Amino acid sequence: MPRNNASTRNPQRAKTVLHGPGGERGDAFRCVGCRLDVPLMAAGTAHRNHCPHCLSSLHVDRTPGDRRATCRGRMTALSVTVRDGGEWLIVHHCQRCGGLSVNRIAGDDNALALMRLAMRPLRMARQSAPAG
Amino acid sequence: MSHSRSVLRTETFTCVRCGLTATTASPAGVRRNHCPRCLYSRHVVDHVEGGPSECGARMAPIAVAVLRDGDWALIHRCVTCGELTSSPIAGDDNQFILMRMAVRPLAEPPFPLETFGDL
Repeated sequence: MPRNNASTRNPQRAKTVLHGPGGERGDAFRCVGCRLDVPLMAAGTAHRNHCPHCLSSLHVDRTPGDRRATCRGRMTALSVTVRDGGEWLIVHHCQRCGGLSVNRIAGDDNALALMRLAMRPLRMARQSAPAG
Repeated sequence: MSHSRSVLRTETFTCVRCGLTATTASPAGVRRNHCPRCLYSRHVVDHVEGGPSECGARMAPIAVAVLRDGDWALIHRCVTCGELTSSPIAGDDNQFILMRMAVRPLAEPPFPLETFGDL
Protein backbone atom coordinates (compact mmCIF):
# COMPACT_ATOMS: atom_id res chain seq x y z
CA MET A 1 0.00 0.00 0.00
CA PRO A 2 1.35 3.45 -0.83
CA ARG A 3 0.77 4.96 2.60
CA ASN A 4 3.94 3.47 4.07
CA ASN A 5 6.51 4.49 1.45
CA ALA A 6 7.40 7.96 2.72
CA SER A 7 11.12 7.26 2.83
CA THR A 8 11.62 7.77 -0.92
CA ARG A 9 10.40 11.37 -0.99
CA ASN A 10 12.09 14.59 -0.03
CA PRO A 11 10.88 16.09 3.25
CA GLN A 12 8.56 19.06 2.88
CA ARG A 13 10.22 22.40 3.55
CA ALA A 14 8.87 24.61 6.31
CA LYS A 15 6.82 27.66 5.29
CA THR A 16 6.70 31.04 6.99
CA VAL A 17 3.10 32.15 6.73
CA LEU A 18 1.51 34.98 8.68
CA HIS A 19 -1.91 33.86 9.82
CA GLY A 20 -2.80 36.56 12.37
CA PRO A 21 -5.46 39.20 11.62
CA GLY A 22 -2.94 42.04 11.26
CA GLY A 23 -0.39 39.95 9.43
CA GLU A 24 1.36 38.85 12.62
CA ARG A 25 2.12 35.21 13.14
CA GLY A 26 -0.81 33.38 14.63
CA ASP A 27 -1.13 29.80 15.69
CA ALA A 28 -4.65 29.21 14.42
CA PHE A 29 -7.12 30.41 11.82
CA ARG A 30 -10.86 30.28 11.65
CA CYS A 31 -12.46 28.36 8.81
CA VAL A 32 -14.64 30.46 6.50
CA GLY A 33 -16.91 27.53 5.78
CA CYS A 34 -17.72 25.97 9.16
CA ARG A 35 -16.15 28.52 11.61
CA LEU A 36 -13.93 25.88 13.15
CA ASP A 37 -10.79 27.15 14.89
CA VAL A 38 -8.00 25.30 13.12
CA PRO A 39 -4.56 25.03 14.73
CA LEU A 40 -1.69 25.38 12.29
CA MET A 41 0.34 22.50 13.62
CA ALA A 42 -0.81 19.19 12.24
CA ALA A 43 0.75 15.92 11.28
CA GLY A 44 1.59 15.50 7.62
CA THR A 45 1.54 19.14 6.50
CA ALA A 46 3.96 22.05 6.61
CA HIS A 47 1.55 24.54 5.11
CA ARG A 48 -2.02 24.00 6.12
CA ASN A 49 -4.37 26.13 4.09
CA HIS A 50 -7.68 24.35 4.46
CA CYS A 51 -10.03 23.35 7.23
CA PRO A 52 -9.66 19.69 8.22
CA HIS A 53 -13.40 19.43 8.83
CA CYS A 54 -15.02 20.92 5.69
CA LEU A 55 -11.86 21.30 3.51
CA SER A 56 -12.67 24.96 2.70
CA SER A 57 -9.87 27.42 2.16
CA LEU A 58 -9.41 31.16 1.65
CA HIS A 59 -8.00 32.73 -1.51
CA VAL A 60 -5.05 34.71 -0.10
CA ASP A 61 -1.96 33.21 -1.76
CA ARG A 62 -0.73 32.92 -5.31
CA THR A 63 2.18 30.75 -4.28
CA PRO A 64 2.00 29.24 -0.79
CA GLY A 65 2.59 31.82 1.92
CA ASP A 66 3.11 34.94 -0.18
CA ARG A 67 -0.30 36.60 0.53
CA ARG A 68 -0.25 38.21 -2.93
CA ALA A 69 -3.81 37.34 -3.97
CA THR A 70 -6.16 40.26 -3.44
CA CYS A 71 -9.31 38.18 -3.85
CA ARG A 72 -9.87 36.76 -0.32
CA GLY A 73 -12.81 34.73 -1.59
CA ARG A 74 -13.93 31.43 -0.16
CA MET A 75 -12.38 28.39 -1.84
CA THR A 76 -14.24 25.11 -1.78
CA ALA A 77 -12.76 21.71 -2.51
CA LEU A 78 -13.41 20.83 -6.14
CA SER A 79 -11.58 17.61 -6.72
CA VAL A 80 -8.79 15.31 -5.62
CA THR A 81 -5.66 14.56 -7.60
CA VAL A 82 -2.71 12.27 -6.94
CA ARG A 83 0.99 13.00 -7.23
CA ASP A 84 3.37 10.46 -8.69
CA GLY A 85 4.40 9.43 -5.19
CA GLY A 86 0.82 8.55 -4.32
CA GLU A 87 -0.03 11.45 -2.00
CA TRP A 88 -3.36 13.16 -2.44
CA LEU A 89 -3.82 16.82 -3.30
CA ILE A 90 -7.03 18.79 -2.98
CA VAL A 91 -7.92 21.09 -5.86
CA HIS A 92 -9.58 24.21 -4.49
CA HIS A 93 -11.87 26.43 -6.53
CA CYS A 94 -12.40 30.07 -5.55
CA GLN A 95 -16.10 30.91 -5.37
CA ARG A 96 -15.41 34.58 -6.02
CA CYS A 97 -12.86 34.78 -8.86
CA GLY A 98 -12.88 31.20 -10.15
CA GLY A 99 -9.18 30.61 -9.49
CA LEU A 100 -7.81 27.15 -8.78
CA SER A 101 -5.10 25.95 -6.42
CA VAL A 102 -3.80 22.64 -5.13
CA ASN A 103 -2.69 21.72 -1.63
CA ARG A 104 -1.55 18.52 -0.01
CA ILE A 105 -3.96 16.87 2.35
CA ALA A 106 -3.02 16.88 6.03
CA GLY A 107 -2.98 13.95 8.38
CA ASP A 108 -6.11 15.05 10.24
CA ASP A 109 -8.25 15.94 7.23
CA ASN A 110 -11.75 14.53 7.32
CA ALA A 111 -11.46 11.14 5.65
CA LEU A 112 -15.17 11.01 4.88
CA ALA A 113 -15.10 14.40 3.16
CA LEU A 114 -12.03 13.37 1.17
CA MET A 115 -13.69 10.15 0.15
CA ARG A 116 -16.84 11.96 -0.95
CA LEU A 117 -14.68 14.25 -3.04
CA ALA A 118 -12.84 11.38 -4.68
CA MET A 119 -16.07 9.51 -5.39
CA ARG A 120 -17.84 12.51 -6.88
CA PRO A 121 -16.88 11.94 -10.55
CA LEU A 122 -17.95 8.31 -10.34
CA ARG A 123 -21.17 9.02 -8.48
CA MET A 124 -22.56 11.68 -10.78
CA ALA A 125 -24.38 10.56 -13.89
CA ARG A 126 -22.71 12.02 -16.92
CA GLN A 127 -24.89 13.86 -19.36
CA SER A 128 -22.26 14.31 -22.07
CA ALA A 129 -21.08 10.72 -22.28
CA PRO A 130 -20.95 9.48 -25.88
CA ALA A 131 -22.96 6.44 -26.79
CA GLY A 132 -20.00 4.35 -27.93
CA MET B 1 -21.59 34.64 -41.15
CA SER B 2 -22.01 31.12 -42.45
CA HIS B 3 -18.56 31.35 -44.01
CA SER B 4 -16.87 32.04 -40.67
CA ARG B 5 -18.80 29.22 -39.04
CA SER B 6 -17.65 26.69 -41.61
CA VAL B 7 -14.05 27.87 -41.14
CA LEU B 8 -14.44 27.32 -37.43
CA ARG B 9 -15.67 23.81 -38.03
CA THR B 10 -12.79 22.73 -40.29
CA GLU B 11 -9.99 24.48 -38.43
CA THR B 12 -7.47 22.08 -36.87
CA PHE B 13 -4.61 22.17 -34.39
CA THR B 14 -1.75 19.78 -33.67
CA CYS B 15 -1.37 18.39 -30.17
CA VAL B 16 1.89 19.46 -28.50
CA ARG B 17 2.32 16.06 -26.87
CA CYS B 18 1.06 13.28 -29.12
CA GLY B 19 1.01 15.13 -32.44
CA LEU B 20 -2.60 14.30 -33.22
CA THR B 21 -4.28 16.69 -35.61
CA ALA B 22 -7.63 17.52 -34.05
CA THR B 23 -10.43 19.82 -35.11
CA THR B 24 -10.73 23.00 -33.08
CA ALA B 25 -14.45 22.48 -32.65
CA SER B 26 -15.73 19.53 -30.63
CA PRO B 27 -18.66 17.41 -31.87
CA ALA B 28 -20.97 19.57 -29.78
CA GLY B 29 -19.74 22.63 -31.69
CA VAL B 30 -17.89 24.35 -28.86
CA ARG B 31 -14.22 25.27 -29.10
CA ARG B 32 -11.97 22.75 -27.42
CA ASN B 33 -8.69 23.47 -25.70
CA HIS B 34 -7.21 20.01 -25.23
CA CYS B 35 -6.29 17.08 -27.39
CA PRO B 36 -9.08 14.47 -27.47
CA ARG B 37 -6.61 11.58 -27.51
CA CYS B 38 -4.06 12.39 -24.76
CA LEU B 39 -6.05 15.24 -23.11
CA TYR B 40 -2.99 17.50 -22.97
CA SER B 41 -3.48 21.21 -23.45
CA ARG B 42 -1.20 24.16 -24.13
CA HIS B 43 -0.67 27.16 -21.87
CA VAL B 44 -1.67 30.03 -24.14
CA VAL B 45 -4.14 31.93 -21.91
CA ASP B 46 -3.09 33.47 -18.59
CA HIS B 47 -6.09 32.89 -16.31
CA VAL B 48 -4.79 34.87 -13.34
CA GLU B 49 -3.74 38.07 -15.06
CA GLY B 50 -5.93 37.64 -18.12
CA GLY B 51 -4.90 37.87 -21.74
CA PRO B 52 -2.42 35.68 -23.62
CA SER B 53 0.32 33.88 -21.71
CA GLU B 54 3.95 33.89 -22.79
CA CYS B 55 4.51 30.45 -21.25
CA GLY B 56 3.30 28.28 -24.12
CA ALA B 57 4.26 25.02 -22.40
CA ARG B 58 2.15 21.89 -22.39
CA MET B 59 -0.47 21.40 -19.70
CA ALA B 60 -0.96 17.96 -18.22
CA PRO B 61 -4.41 16.75 -17.13
CA ILE B 62 -4.26 16.08 -13.39
CA ALA B 63 -7.83 15.63 -12.20
CA VAL B 64 -11.47 15.26 -13.08
CA ALA B 65 -13.91 17.61 -11.39
CA VAL B 66 -17.69 17.62 -11.45
CA LEU B 67 -19.44 20.84 -12.36
CA ARG B 68 -22.70 21.91 -10.78
CA ASP B 69 -24.73 20.54 -13.67
CA GLY B 70 -23.14 17.08 -13.33
CA ASP B 71 -20.81 17.38 -16.32
CA TRP B 72 -17.18 16.50 -15.96
CA ALA B 73 -14.42 19.07 -16.23
CA LEU B 74 -10.73 18.48 -16.73
CA ILE B 75 -8.19 20.24 -14.54
CA HIS B 76 -4.93 20.99 -16.31
CA ARG B 77 -1.63 21.95 -14.75
CA CYS B 78 1.12 23.67 -16.72
CA VAL B 79 4.27 21.56 -16.51
CA THR B 80 6.52 24.64 -16.59
CA CYS B 81 4.87 27.32 -14.47
CA GLY B 82 2.30 25.26 -12.56
CA GLU B 83 -0.78 27.30 -13.41
CA LEU B 84 -4.09 25.46 -13.13
CA THR B 85 -7.03 25.70 -15.48
CA SER B 86 -10.27 23.83 -15.79
CA SER B 87 -12.18 23.13 -18.98
CA PRO B 88 -15.25 21.04 -19.73
CA ILE B 89 -14.69 17.73 -21.46
CA ALA B 90 -15.82 17.14 -25.03
CA GLY B 91 -17.86 14.22 -26.28
CA ASP B 92 -14.95 12.54 -28.08
CA ASP B 93 -12.38 12.86 -25.31
CA ASN B 94 -10.47 9.71 -24.47
CA GLN B 95 -12.74 7.82 -22.07
CA PHE B 96 -9.94 5.55 -20.91
CA ILE B 97 -7.73 8.39 -19.68
CA LEU B 98 -10.71 10.18 -18.13
CA MET B 99 -11.77 7.13 -16.18
CA ARG B 100 -8.18 6.39 -15.20
CA MET B 101 -7.86 9.87 -13.72
CA ALA B 102 -11.18 9.57 -11.90
CA VAL B 103 -10.27 6.29 -10.18
CA ARG B 104 -6.62 7.14 -9.54
CA PRO B 105 -7.23 8.56 -6.01
CA LEU B 106 -9.18 5.46 -5.07
CA ALA B 107 -6.34 3.23 -6.22
CA GLU B 108 -3.91 4.95 -3.85
CA PRO B 109 -5.87 5.90 -0.73
CA PRO B 110 -3.97 7.76 2.01
CA PHE B 111 -5.94 5.98 4.72
CA PRO B 112 -7.18 2.40 5.03
CA LEU B 113 -10.49 2.05 3.27
CA GLU B 114 -11.55 -0.86 5.47
CA THR B 115 -12.68 1.57 8.19
CA PHE B 116 -15.40 2.93 5.92
CA GLY B 117 -17.19 -0.36 6.21
CA ASP B 118 -17.69 0.24 9.93
CA LEU B 119 -19.32 3.66 9.52
